[in-house]
Amino acid sequence: MPVQLAKELVELIEGGVSMQLGTRDKDLRPEVLRAVGVTVGADRSTLTVYVPAELAERTLANLEDNATLAITFSHVIDHRTVQLKGKLRSLRRARRNERALSERWLAAFAEQLHMVGFSRRLALRIRIWPSLALEIELHDLFAQTPGPGAGRRIEAGA
Amino acid sequence: MTLFESLPPACFQGVIPAAISTCSHDGTPNVTLLSQVFRIDARHVALSCQFFNKTKQNVLENPFATVELYDPLDFTSYRLEIRYERAETCGALFDAMALRIEAIASHTGLTGVFRLRSADIYEVLACEKREGFLIAPADDPSPEPPDPRVPRSELKCLHLVSQRTARAPTLDGLFTALLEALEEGIGFRHSMVLLPDETGSRLFAVASRGYGDEGIGAEISVGDGLIGMVARERRSLRLSSMDSELRYGRAVRASVQATGGRRELVAEIPLPGLPDAQSQLAIPLLACDRLMGVLAVESRTALDFDEWDEAFLDIVGNQVAASIESAILRERSDEAPAGAVPASEEPTQLARRGPVRRFRFFASDDCVFVGDDYLIRNLPGRILWKLLRSAVDTGRTDFTNRELRLDASLGLPGLRDNLESRLVLLRRRLEQKCPELKLVSTGRGHFRLEIACGVELELVS
Repeated sequence: MPVQLAKELVELIEGGVSMQLGTRDKDLRPEVLRAVGVTVGADRSTLTVYVPAELAERTLANLEDNATLAITFSHVIDHRTVQLKGKLRSLRRARRNERALSERWLAAFAEQLHMVGFSRRLALRIRIWPSLALEIELHDLFAQTPGPGAGRRIEAGA
Repeated sequence: MTLFESLPPACFQGVIPAAISTCSHDGTPNVTLLSQVFRIDARHVALSCQFFNKTKQNVLENPFATVELYDPLDFTSYRLEIRYERAETCGALFDAMALRIEAIASHTGLTGVFRLRSADIYEVLACEKREGFLIAPADDPSPEPPDPRVPRSELKCLHLVSQRTARAPTLDGLFTALLEALEEGIGFRHSMVLLPDETGSRLFAVASRGYGDEGIGAEISVGDGLIGMVARERRSLRLSSMDSELRYGRAVRASVQATGGRRELVAEIPLPGLPDAQSQLAIPLLACDRLMGVLAVESRTALDFDEWDEAFLDIVGNQVAASIESAILRERSDEAPAGAVPASEEPTQLARRGPVRRFRFFASDDCVFVGDDYLIRNLPGRILWKLLRSAVDTGRTDFTNRELRLDASLGLPGLRDNLESRLVLLRRRLEQKCPELKLVSTGRGHFRLEIACGVELELVS
């Protein structure tokens, strides 16, 4: 059953945060991959996540096997973090006009890293292209900010 | 040597959070961030377990996990396949991880919120570099800003510190010389020295550099925060990056402070500190196992202090602790004999012109205010009050350390008191908060209270 993101979570997710995608294979061996761009659908129940094609071999094999995934979004500066769980609806090569989305993400992410003491140049070396676009249907949301409340289920917001 | 064994140490200092992916028995993946991964031997890592979270639950059901780890110096990414083995709840590894977590929690006012439940040990099954994660660096004509740190020359630095501290004529001068030499010799721009008070349960900042004038006299409890932990455990502590919990804790604390009102006459001085510190290093100053103080340095740059810095400061600390002890003994050896008449003679006329400063002594906590500003408390507060009373009541302004030591009303501990360091603190607080009063040395163990203002005294019981 799809769930809907609250508006403030959309702002967090699209705000140049650190993004990690988790999948698993048929033997329940997990995999992790950094995502390099995201956009939330107008219905706020789907999102498109971009991952670098060159690094996605295991992730793709896992998603072809079972389509189950988790993705964590974490703000570099204040560590507000949320984890979404869901299913892959479709997978395709990112279109040329979608590259700008990843470029915007990378610029914002580099800025966050810069604010905690890292050179912008360091983050700007992350490969964002060519990328794959994963269209994901959301099934569950969890708070993941460090502390005793991490892991709490977030009720779908209006 | 395997790739895992040859991974740079910086990958394991928690500068860039690692990510861990696990999977429950029903096949649902989970991915979360880790503040730090500890490499404990050639085939194992340890992760801190502070809460019984989904990651822990998953590895108890299905022990396999994958970790993505980053080198903070160049953002190279490494992928580790690991398998959960066991949880340790005591022992050397647990103690080392717990100390670090407790120090961070205490430093950010979150004691009790964060504590180590277990050190979880995982076997490393595979390690690979994520080829293609980064694009090749472009030829860039504009170089990175130069490292502000002075190039190292170990012997030269040690020589500088040794020479300056050895030549310092007084305890006061020793602290100034030490912090100056550390900046000049090795580039430590933000540093401070804290000494134990007469109870041994608290530390007070007696000298600082790189924080402006504020902070002298700030107190912390032994066991409180990074510095208090170093004093309690008598072990140095190095944080290479103020990692996620610390920044998060500071953000929480800042918001609490922002919403709190300012109390009138608050008798507290905040400890000096960079609000955006990325690296911290604190070492205990030990002379024959006696804690003489703590030396702490900070930097805005992550990974600014490494093992070399820690070893260097340890050597410096040993020498400084011995120098402190020797400066105190030297000052005492020259003190006037018991009952000797203080050096001066003519009662001093208190200034009749110029501003009048009002001093209030709060007997309940031995606290002195000048005007509405907190000046000093505890032993140095009692000493100041005695000196002022003497000057106002009898006109006498020349004193000896020995007479203070013999004055039972001041309550100096009988054995190994810390009078000299408390006088250094009093002198520095007066320089900052009430420059009309000066404690001027008139010979070893002798000093004069110089008063350039009218004085009003009020005892508040």
